[in-house]
Amino acid sequence: MSNTTKSPEEAFAEGMAGTVVPDVSSKQDKTRSLAQDALRDLIRRPMFIVSGILIVAILIIASFPTLFTSVDPLACDLKHSMEGPSGSAWFGYNFQGCDVYSQTIYGTRNSIIVGVLTTIFSLIIGGLVGVLGGFFGKWTDALLSFVTNVFFGLPLLLAAIVILNNFRDEKGMRNAGVMAVVLTLSVVGWMSMARVMRGAVMQVKQADYVAAARSLGASTSRMMFRHVLPNSITPLIVVATISLGAVIGAEATLSFLGIGIRPPAISWGVMISEAQGRISQGLHPLLFPSGMLTITVLAFIMLGDAVRDAFDPKLR
Amino acid sequence: MRGAKSAKWVAGAIVVALAATACGGKDKAEEGEGKGKAGGAVSVGISEPKRLVPQTTTESEGSQVLDALFRPLVSYDAKNQPVEDAAESVTTTDNSLWTVKIKPGQKFHDGTPVTAKSYVQGWNWGAYGPNAADGNYFFATIEGYDALNPADPDGEEGPKKAPEPTAKELSGLKVVDETTFTVKLAKPFADYKTVLGYTVFYPLPDAAIANIKAYEQAPIGQGAFKIEGKWDHNKSIKVVKNPDYTGTNKPNVDSVTYKIYQKQETMYKDVVAGALDVIPQVPSSELANAPKQFGERFKSSPASTFQFVSFPTYDKKYSKPDVRKAISMAIDREEITKVILNDSQSPARSFVSPVVGGYRDNTCGDSCKFDPAAAKALLAKAGGIEGNKINIGYNGDGGHKEWVDATCNQIKKNLGVECVGQAVPQFAELLTQVEQKKFSGMFRMGWIMDYPSMENYLGPLFTTGGSSNYYGYSNKKFDKLVEDGRAAKTSAEAIKLWQQAEDVLVQDMPVIPLRFGKNVFAHSKNVSNVEMDLFNRVDVTKISKA
Amino acid sequence: MGRFVIRRILQMVPVFIGTTLIVYFLVTQMGGDPIQNLYGEKPVPDNIRATLTAQYHLDDPFFVRYWYYFSGLLQGDFGESIAQGRPIAELLVEAWPETLKVAGVAFVFELVIGVVAGVLAGMRRGSFIDNLVLVSTLTVIAIPIFVLGNVGQTFLGQEWGLFPVAGTDDGFISYLLPGMVLGSVSLAYIARLARASVAENLRADYIRTAKAKGLPKSRVIGIHVLRNSLIPVVTYLGADLGSLMGGAIVTEGIFNIPGVGFQLFSSLNVEDGPAVVGFVSLLVLVYLITALVVDMLYAVLDPRIRYE
Repeated sequence: MSNTTKSPEEAFAEGMAGTVVPDVSSKQDKTRSLAQDALRDLIRRPMFIVSGILIVAILIIASFPTLFTSVDPLACDLKHSMEGPSGSAWFGYNFQGCDVYSQTIYGTRNSIIVGVLTTIFSLIIGGLVGVLGGFFGKWTDALLSFVTNVFFGLPLLLAAIVILNNFRDEKGMRNAGVMAVVLTLSVVGWMSMARVMRGAVMQVKQADYVAAARSLGASTSRMMFRHVLPNSITPLIVVATISLGAVIGAEATLSFLGIGIRPPAISWGVMISEAQGRISQGLHPLLFPSGMLTITVLAFIMLGDAVRDAFDPKLR
Repeated sequence: MRGAKSAKWVAGAIVVALAATACGGKDKAEEGEGKGKAGGAVSVGISEPKRLVPQTTTESEGSQVLDALFRPLVSYDAKNQPVEDAAESVTTTDNSLWTVKIKPGQKFHDGTPVTAKSYVQGWNWGAYGPNAADGNYFFATIEGYDALNPADPDGEEGPKKAPEPTAKELSGLKVVDETTFTVKLAKPFADYKTVLGYTVFYPLPDAAIANIKAYEQAPIGQGAFKIEGKWDHNKSIKVVKNPDYTGTNKPNVDSVTYKIYQKQETMYKDVVAGALDVIPQVPSSELANAPKQFGERFKSSPASTFQFVSFPTYDKKYSKPDVRKAISMAIDREEITKVILNDSQSPARSFVSPVVGGYRDNTCGDSCKFDPAAAKALLAKAGGIEGNKINIGYNGDGGHKEWVDATCNQIKKNLGVECVGQAVPQFAELLTQVEQKKFSGMFRMGWIMDYPSMENYLGPLFTTGGSSNYYGYSNKKFDKLVEDGRAAKTSAEAIKLWQQAEDVLVQDMPVIPLRFGKNVFAHSKNVSNVEMDLFNRVDVTKISKA
Repeated sequence: MGRFVIRRILQMVPVFIGTTLIVYFLVTQMGGDPIQNLYGEKPVPDNIRATLTAQYHLDDPFFVRYWYYFSGLLQGDFGESIAQGRPIAELLVEAWPETLKVAGVAFVFELVIGVVAGVLAGMRRGSFIDNLVLVSTLTVIAIPIFVLGNVGQTFLGQEWGLFPVAGTDDGFISYLLPGMVLGSVSLAYIARLARASVAENLRADYIRTAKAKGLPKSRVIGIHVLRNSLIPVVTYLGADLGSLMGGAIVTEGIFNIPGVGFQLFSSLNVEDGPAVVGFVSLLVLVYLITALVVDMLYAVLDPRIRYE
């Protein structure tokens, strides 16, 4: 999504279309590229700094859970069932009498892997399908739209069962790892992104600066990746950052049905779905993993907003 | 989801509690409890029934509805002994040829008379293989069954199709006169009268034989209620009082609407809000709140369910009885029933349910007593468990996760052995893996009785090649005792032999008994006299408006 | 445009056939045992298994099975459900109207609230309203839908009696609460998309031109900004309409609405192949039609987009 250098026809096109803010002082500062500009701009944004710190913190928790807790998340005792937060267990105990804080910490890694990787993969597949379909139109679009619609129609459950059926150990027992879940959720998660991307590309494709670039003899790939993509990626980023949270929840559905990540692996999604059946007896086992999920999604949305604002030529 | 959760109910008598009602109801009235008014409409929550033809209905939801529409040949008294209901008499001299006389003057809801032929044609329909009725296997004990259900010559995997049946009628069923028919069994069975209470032994009117598909949408029976309109799929089924009903258990209310729900949680909220009158099974997530929300109107009664954990015999890890006993002793059944299940089930220390004759409390003895120290010592003596790691398999669609996880946590803590609950999406897949000897680990099982007899727990679950003996337990001495009990002259003799058989199980410990079920139900302020039978059905002839 | 629409509609025929083929194939790959599922935890007698296997052609090679299905389909016969023993056409006729009502409410709800919130937030980026919209939409995303549904049902239905707790007995009002719960999931996407688009377009030169021309603010926002900002929103709404219908499993369960989501989920659980194929194929048709409508809307919203 970044523009590292500025081509002449791009500068011309943007100039013609007036998409670069015609601020005279910045226009004269021709020595900096758009990307450099964006980065300088980015690190001064408080939203970027806050979200950056949050994401780094979450990544540290995911990588080194033992730094944050010494309690075994799987040592559970029914005697503590549903006990509220206390000095010995900051987030209290869940229905099975497991330490909620420790489980939340240890659950971070799987949730982040599933959430982030699935979002990235869906973004790549969806973005590519959307750009190609929207840009080329005609039979390319017809074919890609057909594929998109069929995938849309497939229920998550059907696709997940069929895909995860094939992940088995040598004895034929189900053995789906985190990556299998990422693959499954990516396969069923890219379609909205493709549709949104396609719509945006179709709109941008008609813009004057694209026509200008074309008339200047820019290659197809150049037009697609230098002109159309950067100007149409905003909706994609919006959808992607939000779906991060939805993906973490979808992972729980799979685990709950017995086709997702195998216990004793822990994830926020599993914690949330286990806690939801008992909300009438206590909210704390639900609140803490949900809270972490909210913070994570918030951090990524803020990051997405900041990055987009910094790189989007029209907003500068 | 529902299919596996509800397991299978072979249901029975319309009026299971009818005999008890006759006196029990009166007692209540005298005590001033039965203050219900006559008339009015009530509603009962159910899930969508799978089928509504008696011979194809072996689960609780359908049998709940059919229970209102039909009158069984026999119903069960307070001690779960069979008592004639639609039948005038059920007699035999040799436990092999049974003569059934039905009470005269009974009519189906469409006005046609109920005759011996109605029963024989209903049973023949159910037994005829190509009809693929769920209750087909109930007729297997009757002579001539094989001619209606020829075996596939090369097994189900083979390429050849099963041959066409050579007969359409069971040779063991004979109409003697308008109200009498005889049943000839392939082998003598002393408890056969008990069996005759289930749904699959209801009669079928001529209208059903003429067009079974149309019949199923609005079943015609001969019971205390008749259907109004049609089965409104996934929404409701309404039944109204049958004015021509000749039975003694005349209903108090004018109509019952069975409201169909997808989730018990929703059903529960509707009862709290007063939009529904009875919830037959309070969902586990609400068990902690139900006593507060319903007070006296939250009730429980015994049910026939038996939950246990079994050891596949092909898995060498668990081949020593002492290892199995040690695991059993490391499980604190009381803690789980109390904390996880809110006393909606009770700890089990026997291999047959308390609802059947011949049940003895705590036959399992020390092997089912919670004693972590003794369990550890026993395990050490037996040489520990290979890999110091076990797992408990369960079907993820049946709501078993919470108690399996809790059981594993206890084993881990009390025995020092790694334990993981392993979900398999569906019961069918668990079965396939066990049958192919692929599943490594213990796995959960549940049993709901078909008829109130000790034999119905021992035979299918533990005899060699028993229909639900998936773990492959086999003990010749046990097999012989069960078989001898079946052929015994009297019930008392049979029970004695079956109890000896149960003692064999205690020695071998092929499974770990965990819990017996209960009906845990609640009702709104609008109704009273809500009672449930062993088959998890609300007795709609007793219920009345408050 | 007319030829474009006709061409697209004609394309739906092979797409529909292709879909049934793919879905039928996937269902056979689920690896389960539909007959055992019929019997729950009790054993299936061998002879019954053989009869049912033959009746539903479960033993036949894939293409033979598909041929049976497809030739039935050509005669307008969707086949019979294995689990329920009823014609699938009947199931479809019962389930679709229910789902359409819930999805309709959800659609209107997310459209109106989402677009209004998004436009307000986008016009005043960084303001209190913007942050309020951000926080409230985020909360909705982070709260799982079953919690949202349960809380709504408990308080608005059971405790305060504002809405029926569950079921469809009360006509239109029965569908309001489930529709709003269902719609709230996508509300966040709509609001965020509208916000981003509006913010972007506010800086566009044609807006500056419009303002410079002295057009009233309401017209600038209402016509120029909104119209140009709606493409991503419309795209998402179009894609979402399908998932409102097929993916409403949780909501339909909580509010006891016997719609498509419920039927699809229970059919999948018991691996009732013919029923799954029937429901999924119709869902794909819905996606195709919404995609076509969305494409036509593009041309309306942005006259520069043309279909040849």
